[in-house]
Amino acid sequence: MADHPRRRRSDIPTTQRIIAVLWPSFLTAGIATALFFTSFNPEEISLCMGADKPISNVGAYTIGFFLFWLLTSSTCALTCYFQRPCIQSEQSTKNP
Amino acid sequence: MKQTPPERSGKTDREPDQESDSLYVKHKKVYPREVHGLFARLRTTGVILLLGLYYGLPWLRWDDRQAVLLDLPNRQFHIFGLTFWPQDFFYFAMLLILAGISLFFFTALAGRLWCGYACPQTVWTEVFLWIERKIEGTRSQQMKLDKADLSRNKVYKKTLKHTVWIVFSAFTGFTFVGYFTPMDVLWHSLISLEMGPWESFWIIFYSLATYGNAGWLREQVCIYMCPYARFQSAMFDNDTLIISYDEQRGEPRGSRNKSVNPKELGIGDCIDCNLCVQVCPTGIDIRDGLQYQCIGCAACIDVCNQVMDKMQYPKSLISYTTEHEIQGKKTKLLRPRIVIYAAILSLVFVALVVAIYNRVPVELDIIRDRNSLFREIKGGLVENIYNLRIANMSTEKQRYQIQASGIEGMQLINKTGDFEVSAGEVYNLNVQLQLDPVILKRPSSQVFFTLQSLTGEKISITEKARFIGPVIR
Repeated sequence: MADHPRRRRSDIPTTQRIIAVLWPSFLTAGIATALFFTSFNPEEISLCMGADKPISNVGAYTIGFFLFWLLTSSTCALTCYFQRPCIQSEQSTKNP
Repeated sequence: MKQTPPERSGKTDREPDQESDSLYVKHKKVYPREVHGLFARLRTTGVILLLGLYYGLPWLRWDDRQAVLLDLPNRQFHIFGLTFWPQDFFYFAMLLILAGISLFFFTALAGRLWCGYACPQTVWTEVFLWIERKIEGTRSQQMKLDKADLSRNKVYKKTLKHTVWIVFSAFTGFTFVGYFTPMDVLWHSLISLEMGPWESFWIIFYSLATYGNAGWLREQVCIYMCPYARFQSAMFDNDTLIISYDEQRGEPRGSRNKSVNPKELGIGDCIDCNLCVQVCPTGIDIRDGLQYQCIGCAACIDVCNQVMDKMQYPKSLISYTTEHEIQGKKTKLLRPRIVIYAAILSLVFVALVVAIYNRVPVELDIIRDRNSLFREIKGGLVENIYNLRIANMSTEKQRYQIQASGIEGMQLINKTGDFEVSAGEVYNLNVQLQLDPVILKRPSSQVFFTLQSLTGEKISITEKARFIGPVIR
């Protein structure tokens, strides 16, 4: 069976790959959270969305931040995925 | 069929480890050897000062509140006697500019000073390394322990180390949340076990982040995560102080007897003890030249100087020097880049201080009624309607008075009269301006609203607005 390597040898370390997805997304999610909640009041949002009791401010910031982080890390992950070369080099598909 | 790994000249995390099966390329742990010396003492002083500041500030009080409190839910930042509101975002922007320019300035002067001496990552990793050293021992003892089989001693030491690390991280996380939630409330809720869910969550989150970054990732934060590390070399020039190995003096390297004159053997001053590599927290060899991973901690300088002393050679085989000095030219300190950065830095700093000092703790926004250009009312007068928004940005309730000016014979109709606004409150006021259109010279004239506080302090602000009316010929 052909040994199809998941990554090429010259790739970056795993730690760097994980950081490349999670760290920039963390930063932009933080900025997005700050900007978003400067404009919108979390209490108003939670009431508009049909909650019986308005969510606390810190709770809203927390949930908002993690939702933003989820979104931005999806973007980073997609970017990393699309950075993979489309055309495989001859060496990696040849049976050693 | 498994592919055999090609030969690689070893740099830390590039060597494939056949023992690991979870990671494709395993990171090799860096064991920085303990170092003593001038720069190590400077760094320790920095750690004590900065951490003292970090852990101490949230406990200070000012008047009847916490001195430094970033009250996010109430949208106020308290810094000792000053209170900043969202409208004061301009000052925060100026502060960021100040931070950026000072970064360029200090980097152009002496490279990665921030990284080696002040960066939180360095500071916390140093504490974690100190704890590790106290529990697991010296560098060789740590390496031996890691290679050894699982034993009672190993389990005990590892458990103790991680427990101390976790407790310290928890204290760090708790302090961090204390900058955002008042510390007295937080402390009380902690000891009575009544902490709110969100505060608890963030304490755990920051604790985990501290533990992960300082305990596990360490130099990998500097190498992979830090954006400053990527572009810092763009801020260097030939007169920037960098850490460098004197190749001309040191090479060719080789061990020798202490009593022998190296020049007779044709070798340089470097005895190839490799101590500079062992003390390096990022695991590089400075003799290969200044590298991206070097955080400028000067541990290699300290340890090499000690060795040079023992060998009775002159110090500074590895030292802070500049490219020009290495080339034999003179180093210029006050070059255009430095002078310009220093000038901009001073200007922005002074501007910031002056702006904050002259800050008027009230904001007046005038919104002209958009429904109509003007209204004709009884008596042939013409009226414009305005909605005024008054934000009281001081820390006390104020009583305000509004006046209008700009057109002779104009009258301000304010049915509310003088009004009170609590601290931090935004007050809405509807007023009208009325005048006889005969006196109008232009369809659109400039008018002024002056808001004045009647309570004690001289708080006053004037804003422009427009009055629109028909010009009668």
